[in-house]
Amino acid sequence: MSEFFQATVLLGLLTAGVRLATPFLFAGLGEMLSQRSGVLNLGVEGIMLIGAFVSFFVAFESGNLYLGLLAAILAGAFMGLLTAFVSVTMKAVQGISGIGIHILGLGLSGLFFRLTMGSISTMRGFPRLAIPILKDIPVLGRVLFNQNWMVYAALLLVPISWAVIYKTTFGLKVRSVGENPHAADSLGISVTRVRYICVVIGSIMASIAGAFLTIGQHEAAFVNNIAAGRGFIAVALVYFAKWNPLGVLAGAFLFSMIDAFQLRIQIIDIGIPYEIPVMLPYIVTIVVLALSTRGRVLGPTALTKPFVRGVHT
Amino acid sequence: MSAIKKSVPSVQSIELRSVTKRFPGVLANDSVSLSFESSRVHTLLGENGAGKSTLMHVMYGMYAPDEGQILVNGSPVHFRSPKDAAEYGIGMVHQHFMLVPSLSVLENIVLNYPSPRWPFLDLAAARERVVAMSNEYGFGIDPDAKVWQLSVGEQQRVEILRILFRDASYIILDEPTAVLTPLEVKEFMGVLRRLVADGHGIVFITHKLNEALEISDKITVLRSGKVVGETTPCDTDKNQLAGLMVGREVVPTWQKRGAAGEKVILSVRNLSARNNKGLRALNDVSFDLKEGEVLAVAGVSGNGQKELAETIAGLRRIDGGEILLGGSNLAGLDVKQRIDSGLAFIPEERMTMGVVKEFSLIENVILKSHGTPEFASGIFLRAKKIRDSAVQAIKDFDVRTPSADVAAATLSGGNIQKVILARELSSRPKLLIAAQPTRGVDIGASEYIHKRIVQIRNEGVPVLLISEDLDEIISLADRVLVLYEGQVQGIVPPSTPVEEIGLMMTGGNTHYVVDGCEDSETPPTTH
Amino acid sequence: MKKLLFSLLVLVLLAPGLAFAGGAAEVDDGVLRIGVILPSGRDDMSWSQGMYEGVSAVVANMGAGNAQMAVTENVPNPVDAGAAIRDYANQGFNIIIAHGSQYQNPLMEVAADFPEVTFAHGTAFETSSNIFAYDPQAQLGAYLFGWLAAQMTNSQVLGIVGPVRAGDAIKYNYGFIQGVEAANPSVRVLESYTGSFGDNIQAKEMAEAHINARADILTGTAQQVVGAIQAVSENDGVYWFANDTDQSPLAPNSIIASQAYSWETVVQYMVDSHMAGKLGGEIISLDLTNERIQLVFNPVLADLVPADLMAQFESKKADVASGAIQVRLPE
Ligand SMILES: Nc1ncnc2c1ncn2[C@@H]1O[C@H](COP(=O)(O)OP(=O)(O)O)[C@@H](O)[C@H]1O
Ligand SMILES: [Mg+2]
Repeated sequence: MSEFFQATVLLGLLTAGVRLATPFLFAGLGEMLSQRSGVLNLGVEGIMLIGAFVSFFVAFESGNLYLGLLAAILAGAFMGLLTAFVSVTMKAVQGISGIGIHILGLGLSGLFFRLTMGSISTMRGFPRLAIPILKDIPVLGRVLFNQNWMVYAALLLVPISWAVIYKTTFGLKVRSVGENPHAADSLGISVTRVRYICVVIGSIMASIAGAFLTIGQHEAAFVNNIAAGRGFIAVALVYFAKWNPLGVLAGAFLFSMIDAFQLRIQIIDIGIPYEIPVMLPYIVTIVVLALSTRGRVLGPTALTKPFVRGVHT
Repeated sequence: MSAIKKSVPSVQSIELRSVTKRFPGVLANDSVSLSFESSRVHTLLGENGAGKSTLMHVMYGMYAPDEGQILVNGSPVHFRSPKDAAEYGIGMVHQHFMLVPSLSVLENIVLNYPSPRWPFLDLAAARERVVAMSNEYGFGIDPDAKVWQLSVGEQQRVEILRILFRDASYIILDEPTAVLTPLEVKEFMGVLRRLVADGHGIVFITHKLNEALEISDKITVLRSGKVVGETTPCDTDKNQLAGLMVGREVVPTWQKRGAAGEKVILSVRNLSARNNKGLRALNDVSFDLKEGEVLAVAGVSGNGQKELAETIAGLRRIDGGEILLGGSNLAGLDVKQRIDSGLAFIPEERMTMGVVKEFSLIENVILKSHGTPEFASGIFLRAKKIRDSAVQAIKDFDVRTPSADVAAATLSGGNIQKVILARELSSRPKLLIAAQPTRGVDIGASEYIHKRIVQIRNEGVPVLLISEDLDEIISLADRVLVLYEGQVQGIVPPSTPVEEIGLMMTGGNTHYVVDGCEDSETPPTTH
Repeated sequence: MKKLLFSLLVLVLLAPGLAFAGGAAEVDDGVLRIGVILPSGRDDMSWSQGMYEGVSAVVANMGAGNAQMAVTENVPNPVDAGAAIRDYANQGFNIIIAHGSQYQNPLMEVAADFPEVTFAHGTAFETSSNIFAYDPQAQLGAYLFGWLAAQMTNSQVLGIVGPVRAGDAIKYNYGFIQGVEAANPSVRVLESYTGSFGDNIQAKEMAEAHINARADILTGTAQQVVGAIQAVSENDGVYWFANDTDQSPLAPNSIIASQAYSWETVVQYMVDSHMAGKLGGEIISLDLTNERIQLVFNPVLADLVPADLMAQFESKKADVASGAIQVRLPE
């Protein structure tokens, strides 16, 4: 037991927690934006898979990781337009169409992988990039500032999302469209346009989350279904976060730190069945959610409701 | 402050020329021509569904007209969205409030308004202006309060502030008084006068005749999408307006017959109860309700009327006192037992408590009696019996519906109320409690509901009528009980001057005054 | 309602990417048809890929005029697999291989209805007149790898990245630990499970946790190990023993050796039996004696194992193969 509390193990735990949280941050913040505008994008998982494959394939073929990332952004935008078309323009039932997008992403990423690459290949992903000065801060420096730049970008997106949502005219429009689209419409805001923008940005962020799973790893590889449910967890974290970027940060870190912790608690073999630690991140997150739902939750009340002028739901 | 003020042209006149607007299967506006001027209150009067809102949505750029033209200050305009209309200085307060509950007052006001610090919001600059405007009109709105925390009346003021913030010179108000208490209506009329005095033009939509007569410079009556009359308050009266609205002469089709009896049916003794917030809502309320009597409960909304109805119906716990129906105490009985002992109840919340929205009319009609041997054998319902009986009731109560199988939610308020009446009255009750039976209901249906209430009163059934409409109270009541802050302020005959009742309703410090044409120093007449 | 219909339509239209069922074969005389159901993709670099390549090799040897194959991949769920098994049987396939221990129930059910067809599944022990079961003795190579790793470790700490505590994985891990104990009981083995067969990122983090805890030689099973091998190759001086197939191409500088199942010989055996009229009724073992298990050393890292150690390893291997050393199985 004592060895568990060695500094290297603890540092490893925290570093792993930050790394594990990164895809949740990208995908969760993107999903939060989409939901804030009233669109539940359940296809995040599928979009992550597309982003994971496209970024890896383009980076592998071109030898340029940034080109891979750009490709993921474009693919994410395309998937976002598709999602928005189905959910906003065609007014489909968002839960069901989201599952469709997920299955599409799962199938397409697997199919293109087979057609283009055929077998598992590996390459170097983005390397660690220690930030001078900051990396020398005790503990925090090693944990937060000795990661790759995608991790920093994800962390930076938290205050940026917060500022966009609460401090900009665009964020105010998004909040109004997600809560009372009739009000927004009556003031000349195009509900459709705002929703398209949010869904597309959210999908791009999901795609980047996928890219982090491949080219965002030191040793990069694409395998089928590499997201393994992380997209769905990201969607759940948005509810946990009560649609607040800081909540997404808290949720992503809570879940990932406990995950990193359980991976290590298994190692020291304290005689409990491994299923319990494996479930631990889910259990703790649900318990925290249950304990914290007191007080008024001001969620986007128009979530999943397509907008039709003059029809109040 | 000047930084966020835009120069908005002043509207001198707006003209609609032969505006036609269709929805699938509905001709909402049929070649409507109208003109509006600044510094005037122009009232659009019409029954529900007459096309008032649609016409104004066209004028506000929410719908493009299928035919016809809009002219502002004499030149034709094409509004593609409300934003275009706002740029011409036209603002609108919608029937459904267009506010975002979780946002603050300030955020609602600056929504989609150009920010001097774009892309960031500049709430500080806006706050200054909003506070100034709020003070100017005596609104007393806290700019940082969340909208969901505000009362309906306050929310309406936020809507008006938002329009003023955009320097609108022409303001459309769609049924603004429908959601207000009589006292708030008075204040609201004051605000309208201020706005007109400041040079704004107003379109005021209502279906209440008194209000139209009180405030208007000009009245246009719409029926079935067409203009059916244009007049001024001094050239018309309630009967004429009502006739125009409904398309036939409205004469009361009912008459109270005989005086109330002497036998006490319901006796409420020292009743106390709390409201949903846990505060004392009824305080030591006592009264008797006699055979063949309509006892009307008057009061400003929120003074205990709702709790009074609910305690008697068994939907709310009592803290103390007794409710004696025919001598036996109801206090210990549950809702079902009270129904069985002859209590009928028309609840205030007709859509949530009165009907099951998703259920068909048939199901709604037999909701209370589906367990009786007449309609059920064992655990099975007797479908044929139920259908026949329900269809008959729907016919008897003049419910206007394409079929008895449609969901209740598809009907208008008036027709839903008739469905509820059909259910409650077909069980031959010993006592009827009717809470706000005609609120938001059109004239035709209101007349019908009144007729039914008086009919069972004439048959000897006592009625406890709770209403915020003083006209309704005075015309139907045998006695008027005034509630103020949960206490009985007094029980008076309906012939009591309206000012006096109004005074009692407010605990004794306001004056009920109606102004308008020169000769109208009298209170509103009743039919 | 219309919206719901539209949504379902979208779902159906977008769905075809999911499972790539092979083309339907037509019933035709003289051609042997083999249908394969795989829990993961046929390119997973482990369990599924091994069987896919085995069947492919057999079919290629027999020639396209004599044999054909069809594959249904990515069906971890036994219910879906059951549908695929019945589908193949209805289409007149002669041999149907359901490559996973989870497929036992649906397979037995369908097999009862098609007595002329040979069915096979594994890791499993249930047979009948037309069902073969196959059972890779994963613990044998694992024991030898554990024995070798215990001699090679500098940190005296080893790690096992397990998927789910069941089937092939648990046999392998059990054997590995016995090997370590036999060589040097003071070496610690960190054993943990990700809870999933296919979550590479999680396996990677788990390997990372082992390395944090000073493990310098790791091993593990299932398709998720691709992730764990990535973590190993990111860290100098950390090595990996592989299972299922020869995984050394994944990380030529990190994989010491692989235990590779020779599915080709297993499939060939079943084809020969089927043609000879024996449709099932046997548990086919994969072990060191019948060479259906091969221990493949990565030539790139040949220098890592000193010659004398290698010689000792070879004699241990002979003892395990002959049964002189008994490797126990979990209860
Ligand atoms: N968005 C809409 N879609 C279809 N029909 C509508 C819509 N809005 C209004 N209508 C119909 O148009 C007619 C006029 O409605 P409205 O203008 O709301 O009347 P009012 O405001 O006078 O009560 C009604 O029959 C109503 O059902
Ligand atoms: Mg209206």
